[in-house]
Amino acid sequence: MPSEQGNSRDKVKRLAVWALLTSVCLIVGYIESIVNLFFIAPGVKLGLANSVACALVLKDDVKGAVAVNLSRILISALLFGSPVSLMFALSGGTVSVTAMILLKKCRHLSVLGISGAGGVLHNIAQCAVGIVFIGIGIIYYLPILLLSGVVCGVAVGFLAKLILKRIEKSGKYV
Amino acid sequence: MKKGDIILCSAICVFSALLALLFLTFKNNGKTLIVKVDNKPLYEYSLGTDREIELEHNTAVIKDGEVYMLEADCKNQICVRTGKISKRGECIVCLPNRVILEIK
Ligand SMILES: [Zn+2]
Repeated sequence: MPSEQGNSRDKVKRLAVWALLTSVCLIVGYIESIVNLFFIAPGVKLGLANSVACALVLKDDVKGAVAVNLSRILISALLFGSPVSLMFALSGGTVSVTAMILLKKCRHLSVLGISGAGGVLHNIAQCAVGIVFIGIGIIYYLPILLLSGVVCGVAVGFLAKLILKRIEKSGKYV
Repeated sequence: MKKGDIILCSAICVFSALLALLFLTFKNNGKTLIVKVDNKPLYEYSLGTDREIELEHNTAVIKDGEVYMLEADCKNQICVRTGKISKRGECIVCLPNRVILEIK
């Protein structure tokens, strides 16, 4: 009986942490939508909110990474987006998180490589959705999207590393 | 930072540079502007004549063979900030108003 109680308390704690991280993602995402990187290509964002999902993947909390990322995307689409922007966010988000979960198993990559690859695949997925919804002309943005995907992805990975360090120091996360 | 990271990232950088080079060599100046609303082609204009195109929520401009979005009532203004397009296949998209300007 006591063990079951402890277990459910852990579950609640974990759920609370996920909810907290989701709200952090939403705020970061909102700030990012104000500061724009338009000189690179239309629609390019740093994607700092992805660092939370990246940190969770690195902690081997696959469930948490998927849950936080999906709720972030759905909530921000409800608050600021449209059905089409949801399609873009959803494709990029699911592909990048799946890729990071799989690449985590590769011994030759560190956080930076995993997140960099995640960023690139995120942009490739969005480019594909763009081609479907808008037209083949979007493919001209692919080179710049690949490049910005790597750069932003590595930055996101760096941030994820910092987040993990802080979490481990505080020792609050189960 | 592991060796694998460096190899992976530089491979992607080289690949995107090659792809950009490839696209640049095959990009051609377009001849017509196609205006799509709700993904349906509504109007076609020659890039040869300068003009202003008034749509319900957006204003597009053709000038010197280039096209840009002059004004839009959308919140994000992505379409306006996209700048000028002139090559075949390039486009300006206003997602909120479901307007697409495409060069053919
Ligand atoms: Zn617009």
